[in-house]
Amino acid sequence: MKTPRTTIWVAAAAAAALFLSACTAGASDPKGTQKDSMAIAFTAEPVNLDFTSTSGVAIPEALMDNVYESLVRVDGEGTIQPSLAKEWDISEDRRTYTFRLQEGVKFSNGADFTAEDVKFSYDRVAKDWKNPLKSKMDLVENVKVVDDHTVEITLQRPSNMWLYNLTTLVGAIFDTEGTADLANEAIGTGPFAIEKFTRGQSIDYVARDDYWGDAPAVKKVQFKYFKDAVAASNALQSGEIDIISNLQAPELAGDFQSEEYQIISGTTNGEVVLSMNNAEGIFKDKAAREAVMHGIDRKAVLDTAWAGYGELIGSMVPPTDPYYEDLSGVWPYDPEKAKEKVREAGIEGEEFAFTVPNLPYAQAISQVVSAQLEEIGLKAKVETQEFPAVWLDKTFTKHDYDMSVINHAEPRDILTVFSKDYYTGYDDSTIKPIAEKADRGTEAEYIAGMKTIARTITEDAAANFLFLFPNLVVAKSDIEGIPVNRVSDSFRIADLSWN
Amino acid sequence: MSEHQDQPFDPNLPVRVDDAGPATGPNAGPAIPQRGRGRRRLSASMIIGASLVVLVFALALLSFIWTPYDPSVIDPAARLQSSSLDHPLGTDRFGRDTLTWIMYGARITLLVGIVAVGIALLVGTPIGIIAALFAQYPWGMWIGAVIMRANDILLAFPALLLAIIFAAVFQPGTGPAMVAVGIAAIPGFARVARSGTMQVLSSEYVRAARASNRSTPAIAVVHVLPNIAGMVIVQASVAFAISVLAEAGLSFLGLGTQPPVPSWGRMLQESQQFLSTHPELALWPGLCIALAVLGFNLLGDGLRDRFDPKMEARGDG
Amino acid sequence: MPVYLLSRAAQFAVALFVASVVIFAMMSFLPGNAAQVALGTNATPEAVAALEARYGLDEPPLTRYLQWVGGMLGGDFGTSYVTGAPITPVIMNSVQVTAILVVCSIVLAVVIAVPLGTFAALEQRNWIGMTISALSQVGIAVPNFLAAIILVMIFSLGLGWFPSQGWMAPIEGVGGFLARLVLPVVSLALVQAAILTRYVRSAVLDVMREDYIRTARAKGLTRTRALFVHGLRNAAIPVITVAGVQLATLLVGAVIIEQVFVIPGIGSELVRAVANRDLVTVQGIVMVLVMLVLVINLIVDLLYPIVDPRIRSAA
Repeated sequence: MKTPRTTIWVAAAAAAALFLSACTAGASDPKGTQKDSMAIAFTAEPVNLDFTSTSGVAIPEALMDNVYESLVRVDGEGTIQPSLAKEWDISEDRRTYTFRLQEGVKFSNGADFTAEDVKFSYDRVAKDWKNPLKSKMDLVENVKVVDDHTVEITLQRPSNMWLYNLTTLVGAIFDTEGTADLANEAIGTGPFAIEKFTRGQSIDYVARDDYWGDAPAVKKVQFKYFKDAVAASNALQSGEIDIISNLQAPELAGDFQSEEYQIISGTTNGEVVLSMNNAEGIFKDKAAREAVMHGIDRKAVLDTAWAGYGELIGSMVPPTDPYYEDLSGVWPYDPEKAKEKVREAGIEGEEFAFTVPNLPYAQAISQVVSAQLEEIGLKAKVETQEFPAVWLDKTFTKHDYDMSVINHAEPRDILTVFSKDYYTGYDDSTIKPIAEKADRGTEAEYIAGMKTIARTITEDAAANFLFLFPNLVVAKSDIEGIPVNRVSDSFRIADLSWN
Repeated sequence: MSEHQDQPFDPNLPVRVDDAGPATGPNAGPAIPQRGRGRRRLSASMIIGASLVVLVFALALLSFIWTPYDPSVIDPAARLQSSSLDHPLGTDRFGRDTLTWIMYGARITLLVGIVAVGIALLVGTPIGIIAALFAQYPWGMWIGAVIMRANDILLAFPALLLAIIFAAVFQPGTGPAMVAVGIAAIPGFARVARSGTMQVLSSEYVRAARASNRSTPAIAVVHVLPNIAGMVIVQASVAFAISVLAEAGLSFLGLGTQPPVPSWGRMLQESQQFLSTHPELALWPGLCIALAVLGFNLLGDGLRDRFDPKMEARGDG
Repeated sequence: MPVYLLSRAAQFAVALFVASVVIFAMMSFLPGNAAQVALGTNATPEAVAALEARYGLDEPPLTRYLQWVGGMLGGDFGTSYVTGAPITPVIMNSVQVTAILVVCSIVLAVVIAVPLGTFAALEQRNWIGMTISALSQVGIAVPNFLAAIILVMIFSLGLGWFPSQGWMAPIEGVGGFLARLVLPVVSLALVQAAILTRYVRSAVLDVMREDYIRTARAKGLTRTRALFVHGLRNAAIPVITVAGVQLATLLVGAVIIEQVFVIPGIGSELVRAVANRDLVTVQGIVMVLVMLVLVINLIVDLLYPIVDPRIRSAA
């Protein structure tokens, strides 16, 4: 008799204690954060800290410019700025770059930064990296240490892209002794060191007091990962975090229309592309693709699926790139013309496979797009695919799709996405020679060439460029230094400060 | 071998048959109340339950004939409207009519319930009967025991666990979700069928039938099936309620019904970002889920009273 | 008794073995592969093949199964493909988190349900009993994530009493730990309490009709006293059964609440591992979950003879 009764009493007492202490604890918890620390919400979580072997945006977002630095970096206007290299010269034949390095720079493990580290890091890209982005460094012929603070890099041929590529993760400088356990330990020259990495949940940064540049205003920063935008929004409203780095449910922005918060809507490098299989199936026919171009009201897509945040660009080039041109008017919304094209292609009522990754924006867009296509007589068979695993496997690798929608977030990725072997199956025979010539030419020739390429792809109706994914940041209003545009693959925390 | 070794959920325990039901079991029945008052109260729960269930079916069936709007038509000009004469329950962020979506959503709710319960019933019930039939012979006891042990192992794979794995194997969607929920509900039906069958087999009329040399399959068909049908129906009603909840939960995780198919669980999930600005978007699907679950549970309660084995035994005696 | 224990233990071992085979087999059906996911959108087929070889994905299934089971017997769940880190600590940490969450919820549910259910049974004929019954029906019908969302809106965003999300280990700060525990525990417990209340009520009603209660009452005890002195032990059996089943179901079932509150429990870890196609981790987590459910069932079985002497004598 005693056993159940005692248990119940003990349990009741425990529960009561739990409640009371929890209430008081909750009440006494300081709301908001102290002024030398900051907590920032992100969506995509890094599975480890090693971007040399694992791809995806999450790792460079967390580490580049914060822990790792490159010789050069890109600023908010898309211009290349010095970083670990104070200055650089380019040889007459535009193949050799001589970088003069910052002095007195230390890695977070105490080692000195020298030209040897540059050679080590860039030689390592070809040798040890597994991340497919390493091909950006394929052009490098030789890295030569001139002296401790000078390094000479020779390319196989002149390239306008290369120096820009160096601002991305392939340019990261590692210590010669610091690559033993990259997955768990990141040793760089940046303003912050990682204090604690809790996989799947958070990264804690602490500002280094031996940083070579300006000391960051905020000493302790936490990146916290939220798969669910609503949870992140709740956390900001209840003061548990200070910034949402990119709000994945734009309708929630409405909750922050007050003096307490600031909403920043800028650009990213992410073009939301309604891609079509150019090589096979129903959309091999250009008329069929043209029907899709005329049949979709991109403004309506943007307004309903992403609350109007974002920009209509009409091409694969974001406005922050030097060769940007507004091509949103090339394919005006014209359902009548679209129906004509459907008839011309002879695909009326035909069903096609629309593979949709299970990401919030993609699922929202797919509903609007398939409804609009139905109006012009095209029947989309929507298949939701788990992202990344299934989408990468079926749509991306096996090209087993007719239409898909994805945010291509890599910077300057137009030539990658529109090539023959890529999942778009785009016939690149026209643009390839133009691209090669542009890359070798002067800067003016480069910009002109790339503009031609972007226009050609859009006019070929290779894909429907729905909109530019917005950089939608929500933050407490007394935070300064949040960049309006996301032009690089990193999220710089050194620029942030409390007002 | 004692009874209790291989069957901890023996009906002889004060655990009632229905209590041995599936995991989430909102299937506690009101115990047999005193006849007069109890009957009236229970039939009230049956009436409410049946009406709610009929309402859900009516919504779903009506949606095949008529809905106020086309569910797939997008109208940016009419997005996020509150209730009006044009749109009695308002519109969602695509400008789609919420009432239309609620009506279409009823279809998915019923589909998931019918398929999941169908799987569980058609697999679980025979398993339970067979286990009980074998268990009465000394040579067959081990077969009965093995069947029920396999059943216990299945019980260790709850619906959500199966659904997560199925969604990965077959893509997230209504199909894998309802199959997962159905498989997870098999053990409940097997147990109900088994304990019901054992009760029937120990009753006097079956002993009489056996004395007159009727074969076991014949006994199973003639005596067992009709006598356990009631309990199985009760279990089905309760399992139906569970599957409605499960579909909502899975859709919330993104593992259930996928867009653009209208589903209550998905509507509820998508309404989250509008909670502070348009709470009615969460209200309607939330209410529908709750009422459907309530309906099937109350119906189960009412039916249980009708088919209660103890009452029946009394009648037979 | 020892025979009973032995045979029950043997059944447990066999169940574990069968479950491990089933789990391993299921994993081989997962489409998409870990190497592809790790390498992302620009991977070459050669790179994928090389990485597969490094993970040992090209070994025959039997070898991989034996390696896996052998490792687990030694307490080692292997190394994750994706993170490159050992899996055992990941599983242990997340199991702890979920266990705290789930056990607190069930305890709270029992604390709410036992008095309410008993009361509802004793007062079954008046409005109090009816109200409790009706409320419990409504409680069952509300999806727990809806309850969670509403609780967050009221107690976190509205009143600011508790954080809206997150988890803190007890050693990092008891106050913070408890504050973050309250809303998820309450969200889980409310629904479970509603279910349990009905079982308690039903069990108590059953007991009250038993002869020994009538005898006790004939000896002059009040209804309530008779129940407390003689009946609770018997009413405890169905309650233990149901609470055990609830505990087992919630281990995975809590994943929805874990997602709402961003709690790094075992369910969330499973969802993440599936998304990354981190097969070894998925296998390990599913195995641990299944094992825990089997252990809970075992404990519940072993509790019966302790609680109810009639079963003891029968065994």
